[in-house]
Amino acid sequence: MKRSLRVGYLALIYLFLYIPIGTLIVYSFNNAVFSMLWHGFTLNWYRVVLQDGSLWIAVWHSFYLAIAATASALFIGTLAAISLYRYRFRGKNLLQGLLFIIIITPDIVLGIALLILFSLSGLSLGFWSLYIAHVTFCIPFVVVIVYSRAKSIDPNIFAAASDLGASELKIFWDIIVPILLPALISGALLCFALSFDDIVISFFVSGPGFEILPIKIFGLARLGVNVELNALCSLLFALTLVLVCLSQWVTRRKTI
Amino acid sequence: MKHKFQYFSVGLITAWLCLFGLLSFLVMLTISFLQHDLDRIAVWHFTLQNYIDLFDPIFFKIFLKSFYIAFLVTAGCLLLGYPFAYIVSRLPEKVQNLALLLLLLPFWTSSVVRTYAMMSLLKTKGLLNAALLSMGLIHEPLQILFTNTAVSIGLIYNLLPFMILPIYVNLERFDVSLIEAAKDLGAKYTTIFRKVIIPLSMPGILGGCTLVFLPAMTLFFISDLLGGAKALLLGNLIEDQFLMANNWPRGAATSVLLTVLMAIGLLLYWSKTNKRVDYEAVT
Amino acid sequence: MKKWVYIAFSLLCTLARANDNVVNVYAWSQEVSPKVVRQFQKDTGIRVNFSTFDSNEVLYAKMKASRQTQYDVVEPSSYYIMRMARENMIEKLDLGKLSNYKNLNPAFTHPDYDPTGEYSIPWVLGLAGIVVNRKYYPNDNLEKWTDLWSPKYRNSLLLLDDPREVFNVGLLTLGYSPNDNNVQHLKKAYENLVALLPNVRLYNSSSVPSLLIDEDVTIGMGWNADAYKAHLQNPNIEFIYPKDKFVIWVDCFVVPKNAPHRENAYKFLNYVLQAKIAALQVKETFYPTANLAAIDYLPPEIANSKIIFPSVEQLKQGYFQTDLNDDALESISRYWQLLKLQ
Repeated sequence: MKRSLRVGYLALIYLFLYIPIGTLIVYSFNNAVFSMLWHGFTLNWYRVVLQDGSLWIAVWHSFYLAIAATASALFIGTLAAISLYRYRFRGKNLLQGLLFIIIITPDIVLGIALLILFSLSGLSLGFWSLYIAHVTFCIPFVVVIVYSRAKSIDPNIFAAASDLGASELKIFWDIIVPILLPALISGALLCFALSFDDIVISFFVSGPGFEILPIKIFGLARLGVNVELNALCSLLFALTLVLVCLSQWVTRRKTI
Repeated sequence: MKHKFQYFSVGLITAWLCLFGLLSFLVMLTISFLQHDLDRIAVWHFTLQNYIDLFDPIFFKIFLKSFYIAFLVTAGCLLLGYPFAYIVSRLPEKVQNLALLLLLLPFWTSSVVRTYAMMSLLKTKGLLNAALLSMGLIHEPLQILFTNTAVSIGLIYNLLPFMILPIYVNLERFDVSLIEAAKDLGAKYTTIFRKVIIPLSMPGILGGCTLVFLPAMTLFFISDLLGGAKALLLGNLIEDQFLMANNWPRGAATSVLLTVLMAIGLLLYWSKTNKRVDYEAVT
Repeated sequence: MKKWVYIAFSLLCTLARANDNVVNVYAWSQEVSPKVVRQFQKDTGIRVNFSTFDSNEVLYAKMKASRQTQYDVVEPSSYYIMRMARENMIEKLDLGKLSNYKNLNPAFTHPDYDPTGEYSIPWVLGLAGIVVNRKYYPNDNLEKWTDLWSPKYRNSLLLLDDPREVFNVGLLTLGYSPNDNNVQHLKKAYENLVALLPNVRLYNSSSVPSLLIDEDVTIGMGWNADAYKAHLQNPNIEFIYPKDKFVIWVDCFVVPKNAPHRENAYKFLNYVLQAKIAALQVKETFYPTANLAAIDYLPPEIANSKIIFPSVEQLKQGYFQTDLNDDALESISRYWQLLKLQ
């Protein structure tokens, strides 16, 4: 394939992905309450959003919930993928089946089932119930991504390493993790997106005093308060963009 | 030492998945065999009625329609996503991470808000039509919103990364020397692609298809917003049974049936493709 | 990193527990204005944990799935109050403790869904009628739901994406009560709606104002508050109270059984029953209120709006929405699926 063709194709897909984002940023400056057509420029919605304290509490809750859920799901999911790939053990098929069931189960069914479980065990609804639920629905996505990477590892590497006296933990850290790194990064990015955006499951397992962003957004959107949400999402998008640039800058400096 | 690590990892995942995956599935499985009751959701009385009720032409139609849409969306994602993943996997390593980040950044904003943005884009008087009209490409505004086209665009948009990521992580590991070797042996690029690259990236393709196909059947708010809620997907059906009709046993039964059907389908598919891949590897 | 996160949220957890003077309110999003919450906190010193839901059905499912509720005040709609009262999920209120109860419009204190008025405090209400953009249909005679069946509206109607609302129309146009449990009548209503299908362009209930303002859809059914919002920005939009009757929903505050902070729940209820507070709510969201005294605190353009407040004559044409029995709900849900599969 020619280089220009490749770059062109990537650009097209990115365009497809970023057009709606661009639209919502443009409309966050729209001087209209309900209409989704252009009615003139205003910064009013940013003022409204910045003054809404409860919205930012929800953002903060969602943020650390997503971080905690991503870290745990990544950890458990990676161990699961590696175990499924490397070891033979009883119940392996059961585990694979369970991962599959979690992906296929509609959100509402998983949400209600988890709520019944939490309620039976007496766990009060709040951060922990949300955390458990988010980790649970993120794990299968990590496993699928990490596993499709692990499949390409030559199993002889492990034999060679342990012949040379490497402990299992050392094999994990020094061989497996570096090979899996792209999969781990992809998995983490995806988990964060999933957790930060989940509505239905979170709805059932959330409790008073721990409101998270997606539920709030869904409620507001249902009632047509979109301009304000556009402003909020634009701000969050800008924030992530800044973070990404910072991290790029830091890693680049490190490598130099 | 090997045992300690193995026991730890296997133990941890087994514990987590059994506690929260298996138990919640068992809760639903149990409910699906109970009798529906108005005041208490379900009463302790074993019945198969919930499953018998599912042998109904309506449900059959809804299943078919959902399969059809999920199939279209999966095919669309694969066609768009595979070349993307392939190109990204051939980029220099540092650029790759950036490319991935850029791919997922849009998905860190709320999917609901993005879907509304898409609505305003596709409206009769929306940006897309305005742009096309001003460029003189069309003379009448296109009626895209509230059609199946809008639903497909919305679903493909939201599920594309789930296809790209597994394929990418698989291709990234791909040994370039294999292609070189094939080239040296005089193979054409298309042949290399068909005989070498595709079969070797099969785990990634399968992973991607699983992550796209299954959610595509139950993700209903996109079809509700962009399609004018005129289609009924499995997600709607199960939600209706749980919420609208308050019939949890029936909803649970539908969900269990969906799981079983998909499991059978995937098992058949996997056993078939695995054989074929092995066969090609031998020849 | 993980350790840091852990410290952060354990700190937050303890902070949340330290102040036990709270009330946990669970309401429709947008139906309790943040201003109301802020003023309540300032005036009483009670902290409000405010969470939102977006449909009665999910609220009910959530309450059913948990053994012990953590909420003190919830806000279901009329027909779900009846069900929750029957299933012993909510408490009988001691109305004597609510000194501001007298502010309510007597028309709403003994409704069909709560005949003794002991379970619920009406808060906001609304009703679905015909909405039309007069720029496109300047002279059409639109008085009744049945007018929507006219073949000239082919592929142009907006229907609410809500099975009960759509079946209300199907039943009313046949002269049946919208609270009819008779499965035969529901079947006829379904057949009646099938005849309407060629006219239906889309179902939506979450973005009606924007669809109307931007003229993506120019005729159909909609809630009066949404029609008012649309009318403000696009004066061509008109709301019609159908002559063949309509259905009123009322979203009310109730106290769940075993609410953890019952005293504070009463304080909250009595607070929002104040005329000023109810008026503040109307000004923010344009939903009609059952608080009669609040009308005095409203600006004239809202208080006199025929879209928001129906006349006494018109109000007599309205039914309160009540709960249906299982068979009826089951057939509505089935017919709804059939409608969407056509």
